[in-house]
Amino acid sequence: MKRFAPFLIALLCLSLGAGPARATIDDALSFALEAADPYVKEGFTVREDYWGGDLGVKQTKAIVHQLFKGNTYWFWMGTDAKTAKISVHIYDSEGNLAEVEAWQKPHFAAARVEPKKTGTYYLIVEVEKSPAERTSWSLAYGFR
Amino acid sequence: MKKVILLALAALSPPVFAEPAAHIDVSNLPSQSKMIDAVVVPVPSEIFAVLDKLGPRPNWSAVQHKMTSVAQPIGEQPQIALMLGTVIAEGFIAVEAEDANEVKQIGKSVLNLAKALGVEKKAQVRAKAITDAADAKDWTAVRKQLDKALEDVREAMVELNSEALSQLVSLGGWLRGTEALTAVVEKHYTKESAELLHQPILLDYFEKRLANMKPKLKLNPVVIKVQKGVLEIRPLMGLPDSGDISEKSVKEINDVTSDLIKAINAKAQH
Repeated sequence: MKRFAPFLIALLCLSLGAGPARATIDDALSFALEAADPYVKEGFTVREDYWGGDLGVKQTKAIVHQLFKGNTYWFWMGTDAKTAKISVHIYDSEGNLAEVEAWQKPHFAAARVEPKKTGTYYLIVEVEKSPAERTSWSLAYGFR
Repeated sequence: MKKVILLALAALSPPVFAEPAAHIDVSNLPSQSKMIDAVVVPVPSEIFAVLDKLGPRPNWSAVQHKMTSVAQPIGEQPQIALMLGTVIAEGFIAVEAEDANEVKQIGKSVLNLAKALGVEKKAQVRAKAITDAADAKDWTAVRKQLDKALEDVREAMVELNSEALSQLVSLGGWLRGTEALTAVVEKHYTKESAELLHQPILLDYFEKRLANMKPKLKLNPVVIKVQKGVLEIRPLMGLPDSGDISEKSVKEINDVTSDLIKAINAKAQH
């Protein structure tokens, strides 16, 4: 997410320099948006906001997010690491798997949810496999 | 040779992926599963889209706050940031009402307020795109450009080290969107439509952001009012998942958000 970027940038300025990490998150976002492209043609509106960061292998991140019953949502995750295997899954406020469909491909992962209730949901992103120590990822979403 | 064939077959086979857990303990996520402390605030159209599906199309013109002229900056920067958010949200309402003239007025207003916040460079491109899309009555494109405008000005503010102001833009937009939503729900109340107001994480997010603002921003009279208002509506919108939001609560939320929108657009603050 763009509001998340300043923290990453600040951390990076303290260590290695700002350019590369932001660039890889942006690259990961390009893949997430590429995954979204066919769904835009199906009438999904892709939000400009997104989340992003980097993860080690088998590491997960939880993102808390508001969803509205009546809409259908797709979450598209991207990474610039071609051989990495990434995943995104959606859980409701009680921790039950809520997605109706999910897929994984090189560079991409995605999940669709049709919320049964309006309220809080948890998006769990994971790098399942990667040749790199840290793998950049980005998550975009759309609704219809 | 056998090994080569097996490897080739493996490469051609569909990949087998781990099945996701059917249940997770959200109150006790694994230690490496650190929560991302960033909440994406929905744009009004994301919520309005549901209302449009629930029943007869709402009369969006009736909830518009029509602008008689291009919005002028009022007060200090925190108030202008909140105003900018409300103006962009008004754009989403004008799109629902398919009011091209209002959308064009909003495009100019976004530019004017962005200028007062020092982020007009990015807003210029968006203002033009909003106007062009409104001229073409391409409502999907207008929604897209309004979302981009929101993102661009917030990003520009972050670049200027004004992250707190960027959060006020989001909050202003959310308040105006909630005011419009409650006005529509109140008109034809159903439990289903009122459920759209169940937004506890957004209330928590805004509450935390306001509480953690620097004194310079926090002591702004309008910000003080907004903080008080957010705390007032928190128990009404943050019920447990099973709780229904009553007609009375919808009205109360509408009253609070209407007062806040008036305060954001008022000249003298006491």
